[in-house]
Amino acid sequence: MQEPSRGPQISRRGWLLASLLAPLFPARAADSLIVTCDDDHLRISSLGLHFLQGNSLNRLRNGSTVEYVATVGLFRDQFATQLKRSEHHFFVSYDIWGTGDVFAVSFPGPPGKPPRRRTNLSLSATETWCLENVLVSTAGLAPDQQFWLQLELKTVPPKLNSILEPGGGLHVDLLEVITPGQDERQVFRTPGPLRLEDLKKSGKGRVG
Amino acid sequence: MKCAWLGCLLLGSLLFAAPQDSDNNVNARYTVETVIVSGKGWATNLQSDTTNKISTGLLHELTAIIGQKLNPASLDTLAQNLKKEMSAREVTHRIVRGETPEQVRVEFEVRPARASLGMNVNQFVYNSKQGFSGSGEAAVTTGPHVFALGLVSNGDWLTERFSGVVARYEDKSVGTDRLSFKFEAETFHTQWNRLTVAADSANPADAPALYRSRLAFQPTAAIIIFKPLTLTVGARIERFEEEGPAETTGANAIVTNLHYHQSTEGAYNQQEFDADLSLHTAARGFNSDYVYSVRSGGVRYQIRHGKHIVIDNAWGGYITGRAPLSDRFVLGNTEYLRGWNKYEIDPLGGNRALHNSVEYHYGPLQAFYDLGAIWDESQPAVARHSVGIGLRESVFSLAVAIPMRTGHVEPIFMMGILP
Repeated sequence: MQEPSRGPQISRRGWLLASLLAPLFPARAADSLIVTCDDDHLRISSLGLHFLQGNSLNRLRNGSTVEYVATVGLFRDQFATQLKRSEHHFFVSYDIWGTGDVFAVSFPGPPGKPPRRRTNLSLSATETWCLENVLVSTAGLAPDQQFWLQLELKTVPPKLNSILEPGGGLHVDLLEVITPGQDERQVFRTPGPLRLEDLKKSGKGRVG
Repeated sequence: MKCAWLGCLLLGSLLFAAPQDSDNNVNARYTVETVIVSGKGWATNLQSDTTNKISTGLLHELTAIIGQKLNPASLDTLAQNLKKEMSAREVTHRIVRGETPEQVRVEFEVRPARASLGMNVNQFVYNSKQGFSGSGEAAVTTGPHVFALGLVSNGDWLTERFSGVVARYEDKSVGTDRLSFKFEAETFHTQWNRLTVAADSANPADAPALYRSRLAFQPTAAIIIFKPLTLTVGARIERFEEEGPAETTGANAIVTNLHYHQSTEGAYNQQEFDADLSLHTAARGFNSDYVYSVRSGGVRYQIRHGKHIVIDNAWGGYITGRAPLSDRFVLGNTEYLRGWNKYEIDPLGGNRALHNSVEYHYGPLQAFYDLGAIWDESQPAVARHSVGIGLRESVFSLAVAIPMRTGHVEPIFMMGILP
């Protein structure tokens, strides 16, 4: 006699794999992720969304530049099928001689145009200004189409050090190649689906 | 020609892909007040202290940023150079406020390593007449000890193309920082150019024998007599497996080298002076089949003023006795008498050679004039000239050299990690 089907199941191996991989992808259902629609663009703003932290913040306070990559993905369904993807790079630095704890941000402009810059920003103002500049075009999105939004923020690890030898020749530190600097990755997701018409109706914004 | 375009693209990308960190870091507007390098139990302020922990060249690079606007991207390069020189596990840097407003201190912290594993590309060149040549090695460094194993295929330096394996052990500090020891072993398979084979066949009695492979061991010790003067003494034991009927011959020699290096820095310019004297003697007393002596010497002078660099490099040598082909002089490669084809000048190499090269660099642009002569004791010396222009960024170069002669002139294109 055929055993009754129990539907799709997750094997023990699957659970084990998922539990091992889970810490690597700390996706947060962001009650703090605010998505607004502004003419032809979606804007993201933060409410207590902090990404300047950990090792990156230490690197900043030591005077280094930290490059961030913000990737916004729009999904047809619950983060499985991607509709749109938009990537933005920006550079943050910490003003050693600033009054108080202040940072500077630079967004590279399109070729031939100067970068957008802000200086003397507090930590939270830096985070807010960075996210305000992460725009996603709404072209191709129907007003009544449901979509889910994911924001991924990651740091670009410090580049492998120069491989040029002072006296000529090239040198690669194999230990550095095998164990490169770790990037820091944070993922924020809207808990439910969004629709352009809802976002437009709600005027200045909607909490996702 | 494909290689030429590839080289142009590579060098172009290096020239124009300037680091943008200065544009993106708000601290680039501040001036560097001083540089402090510290390690386990020591620290040195490069503005006020003297140190013998860092080489003169690197010290110059580090102190050059004092008084300049901060370039955060250059700090990574300096940290890497410190790491390499000190065989450190890690060198981190941080910027802190200086004593004067708008000035910053750069602090490098050196963390010592128990061991490091690296890969070096010591040579990689393309010559439109002689093809590619390259050598690379993987090296493990533990304190002053270096163990390295590498591969070589070189058609540039000698009249042969030699390909094979090299192994090296080095102790950079034998009891004292003034004494170092090195043991090198190399085994090469040899390929000959048809012009070399033809020249050898034309005069089999006098010409040195062609060989299929060679195996060499070379232990040497180097002692710093006083700071700019280093004496290297050692032995070279080499075996040649000759072409034709299988026969092995040996060249056992004592090798000595005296090297002088001095660099001085004025308010507006930096000067470097190097001088070398070498003696390589193989004798029957060392159970050597080849009995010969190679004497060579050279001086190199470089002056830098802002973006302008002028270099003069003079070198000469002579051989007495009958040396194996691998020890004969060669001109017409990517280093000496550039633009000439070594196989057209002297396919068997010579036992007398003189060479002088004058180079002028302005930023990445370079121009050079080479003058050289290579001949055998019994022949008259013929002076040859060549000129060239090129681009140079860090260790990468791209150059076109033209032999100055009547008749058909074919430029030679060179690129890669050139001397």
